[in-house]
Amino acid sequence: MPGPDEPVVIVGIGEFHAGRSPMSSIGLGSCIGLVVFDRDRPIGALAHIMLPESQGRLERPAKYADTAVDLLMKELNRQGCKTSSLAAKITGGASMFQTFSGNLNIGERNTDAVRSHLKRLNIPLLAEEIGGTVGRTIVYYPAENGKVSVKTANGILKII
Amino acid sequence: MLNSQQRDALRELGNIGAAHAATTLSTMLSSNIEMEVPEISVVDISKIHEHVGDELSALVIFQITGEVSGGGYVLLHIPKNSVIRLTNAMLGMTELDRELTEMDESALLEIGNIMVSAFLDATATLLSVIMLPSPPTMIIDMPHAAFQTILAMQEFAEIDQVVIFRTELHSDQHKISSNLFLLPNKPMLDEILKMLENLMK
Repeated sequence: MPGPDEPVVIVGIGEFHAGRSPMSSIGLGSCIGLVVFDRDRPIGALAHIMLPESQGRLERPAKYADTAVDLLMKELNRQGCKTSSLAAKITGGASMFQTFSGNLNIGERNTDAVRSHLKRLNIPLLAEEIGGTVGRTIVYYPAENGKVSVKTANGILKII
Repeated sequence: MLNSQQRDALRELGNIGAAHAATTLSTMLSSNIEMEVPEISVVDISKIHEHVGDELSALVIFQITGEVSGGGYVLLHIPKNSVIRLTNAMLGMTELDRELTEMDESALLEIGNIMVSAFLDATATLLSVIMLPSPPTMIIDMPHAAFQTILAMQEFAEIDQVVIFRTELHSDQHKISSNLFLLPNKPMLDEILKMLENLMK
């Protein structure tokens, strides 16, 4: 966990942040926490993706898998990162409910979409903590080479 | 998204529903239940984490069915420590430092069913429609993870703002706190607002 002096940027649903300070998404369920980071420099980005496809919507590009991956890549390019140095880690994509009608496998569809867009852009996926039926709170630490801590509600903390 | 008159009408509707839910809880616990004034918030999806967090909690979740169009959910949210005190109070136990068990889960389903049925029944009666809770789903996890999954499901997918209606119920005697959330999608919210407007004519 970050120290008291280290500000953590909270990235809410459909938002993203790029930079050097630690960033966090709280309580990922079916959403995906996508971290794209520079393997050579202490900089990276986090997007809190809610749905697989933007279907042409232009506002909130970080909300959708198909636009979020490109967005993070461009944003990091703009901040001086080479595309060939980028790598990704993904978390979330859980299936929280079994019984309601509607978009039940949304977590899985989000995961598939993020994976395929990473592949399309040739960004290697280095680690993931995905699926299952649990919520996750994540913190990404750009200063520590793409380190991501993943905490579940029962208090178990995992570093990927 | 909501004007002040609509807010007041919704708050009043929620007040009546929550009061009925509080009465059932009070009967089950044989204790006084205090009820806070309901909050109606229009929340951007990116700020939902400011209203529900990631602390381990039980959530009993119902889909609203019946004579209203659109979709909506009622959620009973009880933090872990309150769940334990609640089950203990109902079953005459005292152990506080324990994990949640199947016993807590069945007690919660029961309480949730009774409270949410009372809540929906009272609001539906006021609106002169029929609203019924679906069979409940329970999860013991992070409230934010449950909320965002509900929002990602079809009926909410295209919107960026949601109306969250929340009432806090607590028992000082047993140190139990709980929240009742009503999460209507846009078509259901619009219909409820229209019915409330007709009522006030």
